[in-house]
Amino acid sequence: MSDDRARLLDPHFVSKLARLDLRARLVVEGFLTGLHRSPYHGFSVEFAEHRQYMPGDPLRHLDWKVLAKSDRKYLKQYQEETNLRAHLLVDTSASMGYGSRGVTKLDYARQLAASLAYLILGQHDAVGLFAFAEGRGEQIPARSTMGHMRPLLGLLERMKASGGTDFTASLHALAERITRRGLVVILSDLLDEPEKVAQAIHHFRHRRHEVLVFHILDPQEVAFDFDREAVYVDMEGGARVTTRPRELRDDYRARLTEWRDRLRAICIEKRADYVALTTDVPYDRALLEYLGKRSRLL
Amino acid sequence: MPLLSFLNPSFLWALPVTAIPVLLHLLSRRKLPEVPFPTTNFLRLLEPREIRRIRLREILLLILRTLALLLLVLAFARPAVTPANAVMNAAASVGLLLDESESMAAIEEHGRPRITEAKGRAASLVEASRAGDAIAIAYASRGEEPVAERGDDRVRLRRALERVEATPRPARMAAALGSLRRTLERSPLSTRELYVVSDFQRGNWPAEARLEIARAAAAGTRVYLVPVTAANLPNHAFEAIDPDVRPGPEGRGMELRARLVNHADAPSDRIAIRLREGDALVGGGDVSLRAGERRWAAMPIEPKGAGTAVSDSAAATPTRITAEMDADALPTDDEWYAVLGTPRRLRVLRIVEARGSAPPRFAALALDPSSNGASGFSVEDESPAALLTLNKARADVVLLEDVAALSGDAEARLRAFLRDGGGLVVALGPHSDPDYYGKRLFPGMIDLALQQPERVPEGGALELRARVAGHAILEGLTVGVGTPLSQARLTGLVRGAVTSPSAEIVVQTSGGLPVVVAAPRVAVFLSSLSDDWGELPFSGAFVPLVRGLVSHAARAASGAPAELVVGMPPRARLTGAPSGVIRVRGPGDYSSTATVEAEGTGYRAVALDAAPAAGFYEFDAEGHTLATVAVNLDPIESDLTALPVDSIRAGAAPAALPRIAILSSASALERHLRATRRGEELWLPLLLAAALLLAGELLLASARKLRA
Repeated sequence: MSDDRARLLDPHFVSKLARLDLRARLVVEGFLTGLHRSPYHGFSVEFAEHRQYMPGDPLRHLDWKVLAKSDRKYLKQYQEETNLRAHLLVDTSASMGYGSRGVTKLDYARQLAASLAYLILGQHDAVGLFAFAEGRGEQIPARSTMGHMRPLLGLLERMKASGGTDFTASLHALAERITRRGLVVILSDLLDEPEKVAQAIHHFRHRRHEVLVFHILDPQEVAFDFDREAVYVDMEGGARVTTRPRELRDDYRARLTEWRDRLRAICIEKRADYVALTTDVPYDRALLEYLGKRSRLL
Repeated sequence: MPLLSFLNPSFLWALPVTAIPVLLHLLSRRKLPEVPFPTTNFLRLLEPREIRRIRLREILLLILRTLALLLLVLAFARPAVTPANAVMNAAASVGLLLDESESMAAIEEHGRPRITEAKGRAASLVEASRAGDAIAIAYASRGEEPVAERGDDRVRLRRALERVEATPRPARMAAALGSLRRTLERSPLSTRELYVVSDFQRGNWPAEARLEIARAAAAGTRVYLVPVTAANLPNHAFEAIDPDVRPGPEGRGMELRARLVNHADAPSDRIAIRLREGDALVGGGDVSLRAGERRWAAMPIEPKGAGTAVSDSAAATPTRITAEMDADALPTDDEWYAVLGTPRRLRVLRIVEARGSAPPRFAALALDPSSNGASGFSVEDESPAALLTLNKARADVVLLEDVAALSGDAEARLRAFLRDGGGLVVALGPHSDPDYYGKRLFPGMIDLALQQPERVPEGGALELRARVAGHAILEGLTVGVGTPLSQARLTGLVRGAVTSPSAEIVVQTSGGLPVVVAAPRVAVFLSSLSDDWGELPFSGAFVPLVRGLVSHAARAASGAPAELVVGMPPRARLTGAPSGVIRVRGPGDYSSTATVEAEGTGYRAVALDAAPAAGFYEFDAEGHTLATVAVNLDPIESDLTALPVDSIRAGAAPAALPRIAILSSASALERHLRATRRGEELWLPLLLAAALLLAGELLLASARKLRA
């Protein structure tokens, strides 16, 4: 990976760019530059080019007409084109506003959502966007044209972290609203009871959606690496805890790991994909996960 | 109920310091920053299990720190618990007798002089006094002088003690105890205590001193004996120097005789003696002393100037000699001052009776073998009639050798000669009349009773053994107690018995019969100095024995130089009546005047002020030096052997015995003071507890988490 591409995928670097659309394009292009030998490139319905058959290539892509005419074996390569409908669900609760290193979880989620949308639309798939928080939500239905990018970016830029998280309410409502089967991508810190998260995922799965969960946390939430004694105030419930981080760090980390493992187990149980991210992880990790998921779907 | 008190109550003002941990705790809690954090719920979930433990630990730490500070402050305030049964709850009149005599300058094994330890004990007594206690401090060397320090001002008394140093004076325990006892008896306080801080030298505790202790205890005073030394220090010292310098062996050179003593249980080998006249080294030698031995030792000397000429009369040119020996535990007695007269030979008037043939001259030959006086003795043989004209100008010593009896006139003249300072040696023999000597001549001279002569059966012999080690008569013989003087056979002697302690048996037979008996100015040989009763004149012991007898009589006649000791007024014998005021000058800035009184044929000048230090003192009148005397330290202080302190209690009445206690160590004194004054101090346990708490605090603070 070249330095430029690495910078394009670095959340801290990208966050300094002003326009979200530009950011999304840069991220996706930077990502795709690294995939020139990617197996995800081209098995669609729209013809792109021929390539000489090599032993081991699947015969179903063999161009029989060329073989009949010239007795040469060529494979047909296509621009990928599916009827995939992806729904990006971005958590806008107050806790998503936390960022210890300049990038909030919501910033990271918005950037990732924009990049995913750009990538999805570039592959002529349809993409919709939902902002969910406690008791409210804004949505843009799925479209597959590049012109759809503008309203998507508009909604992403309007998102603000506020209010609590209630998966049982907002996600269940979304599950009811998204009727056509598709890929549901959840970008959230999942700060709710794991059982409620499980119920929400189950609801999507019941509607035969594929579910991809990007569990976004801040590095400080994982490490709990504060130095001094302080009063720690919950960003959603307002609960206050006075403690010395040094004293509780090990127990906290153990409990957090246990919680993430529990979420992962729930996703596995519900046959959803779970990707744990922190806001310092480059975006290509998430994009790769998406492409992997997509390939399994097609 | 035990009573709690604080010896440093001013430290209690520091008690608010204990609030510092609490204040810091509260302040640190108040200023905690608020940190928004999304996963605070996890911390809340942990709280029941961990945070409570942390809070518990914080509280524990707070308690530990506060308690540690509290204990530290209390420890510095020196709390003390006075037992409910303490015997001394009322103010007391306390008498403290501090021994600062010469022996207290002795260096103990730990390198500090005894006086330092004694001052420490005395200071702790003063320090432990309570409000209302009246303290009187007396010093042992000052005897009956009024009590030195008195009052209840601890600071003043402590400073007075700090100034005390060991003096060159001997202790006068009886007088000092009497003075202090009377002071205590005048006190209006009913509780009286007498503390005696001393090294309890054997020589300083005569019966009178013990009696004073018994009297004080009988009068209701509690007496505490506080010895400051547990071990006997070996010490050797000068005791006297014979001012008469004599010719050396075979008439060559001059000899000075010094009396030395070894106060030790082990021999002292090769003690180096140096004799100085001013800064010049004029003589000296090495002396070996057996354990506990005290003897005269002769050593060569060559005084500067006119001192080397030997004459028959005492000249008026004194020579100041300072004798030094190797320093030991008590350095002050390793120096001795002496004023030597002009060297002269002893004139011996030998009285013999002619019985047909010329009497044997064994004794005369022993004293002056070459008949020229080179040996230091000149002998003149005379008949008893010569005693009728006897006077001090003619002879120093009269030797009666086997004389049957003296006439009344001769005897009277002899007695006058003795009174005038002459010496007498009586050698008996087969012709001597024991009745005359025992009943007529000896009374008033020497307490010796005589019986009839006793002859040893044929083939037998008497063996002579020394009875007193280091006696001047045995000076030329290297013998110890019980050592045979000679292998010569002695076949007869006059049986005798001493009748008072003033007469001392120096040599006796192995059967215990006296052979040589000595008294001041007189020596008696109860056998024959001739060959009538054996072959003693032919033995090697004969010459030193005869010379020893004569020297003893002569030395005793010259007076005892050791009488001039520090602490007493210097005095000098003057031959003529002085005119004008006599001034006395001494070491340092000593200056005094002297009174004059007649003494015998001359005069005696006595200074008005006591000699403060050892050294030479000059008696001057009208610019002329009339006399120079040497003042030395009292030899009684040289014997550092301690008395068994318990023996002092033995003299008290049974009813008073419980009131005499021995505080034999510093810790015993400390325990006593705790029990009667300060109470049991608690600072050490408090300090230990504070240290434990701080250690616990460190452990707790450094532990990452509290174990469940």
